[in-house]
Amino acid sequence: MMNIYFLSLLLSLSFLVTTFELVRRQKLKEQYSLLWITFSITMLVVSLNVTFVEKIAQWMGVKYAPAILFLFGLLFCFAIMLHMTIVITKLSHQVLRLAQELTMMKESKSSHE
Amino acid sequence: MIAGKKLIIVPAYNEENSIGAVIQDIYAHVDDVDVLVIDDGSTDRTAENARFHGAKVLTMPFNVGIGGGMQTGYRFALKHGYDVAVQMDADGQHCARELPKLFEQIEQYDLVIGSRYLEETAYRSTMMRRIGMIFFTGLLRIVLGQQFTDTTSGFRAANRKVIGLYADYYPMDYPEVESIVYLKRNGCRITEVKTEMRARQAGRSSITPIKSIYYMIKVTLSVIMCAARLKEVKPR
Repeated sequence: MMNIYFLSLLLSLSFLVTTFELVRRQKLKEQYSLLWITFSITMLVVSLNVTFVEKIAQWMGVKYAPAILFLFGLLFCFAIMLHMTIVITKLSHQVLRLAQELTMMKESKSSHE
Repeated sequence: MIAGKKLIIVPAYNEENSIGAVIQDIYAHVDDVDVLVIDDGSTDRTAENARFHGAKVLTMPFNVGIGGGMQTGYRFALKHGYDVAVQMDADGQHCARELPKLFEQIEQYDLVIGSRYLEETAYRSTMMRRIGMIFFTGLLRIVLGQQFTDTTSGFRAANRKVIGLYADYYPMDYPEVESIVYLKRNGCRITEVKTEMRARQAGRSSITPIKSIYYMIKVTLSVIMCAARLKEVKPR
């Protein structure tokens, strides 16, 4: 039977495999893969354990239990986007410092010639 | 006037029409200074014109924005052991004949800001600019407890202590207001002196009316963040 839990299971599994493969091929750094791996495993556990999802749904007063899956997914997206902007901030600091050092080195080189 | 090595930092982005006059003006009024033009990835003849008029020129590999360019100047000043670094605009609005006033005060203070508004000067500005000025003056009075009349003035002299601090950290965009808060948080003594300023000679202001709302919000946020940041939070 094709329901949201089964689809979610398939997607999380393929996600996990893709992440592993990307890290193995060095297309993705281990440190950035950690969030993805955590996400895949969480989704895997959540989709396998239907009663767990239904229990949370009941506890939170959510009428449609699979909506919990979307909530998990959405929260994770926010987390990874925050993580990405932190990485970008760090990178832009580093790029600026590199540009400054390079500029000064070019100058001292040309003034010695 | 203070003895020692002095550097005038002039950040410039596509200012080929005014940069020559600015450098001439500096050399005409003070003779014991080095002029450093930070060419922030200009696409015109800014660098050539500056070199032609006897300035040292650092050309950034790409446009890094006013903050990144200015910081390059301070890092240069630190590396080459300058005692005083003055920042001056490339559009000609700051008068070099006011430089001795800044040098005079830098003996007692860590940062000296040239102010258009300390006393009545000939400088006239737009309504929007006035409102911004009043707002930032009020904001800094609340945050720092010190009255600054011209918070966005880019005409400033810094001593060794400030050169070191700015080499470490300098706000990246719209840096003027936040850079005052940063220094006060690090225990610097700051004063203002009255300086005449001209209306810009060439080029146009980087702040358009559309940007000014973003400017106010961004700078306010930066000021609050900077004030909330403990000294121990070291920028990378």
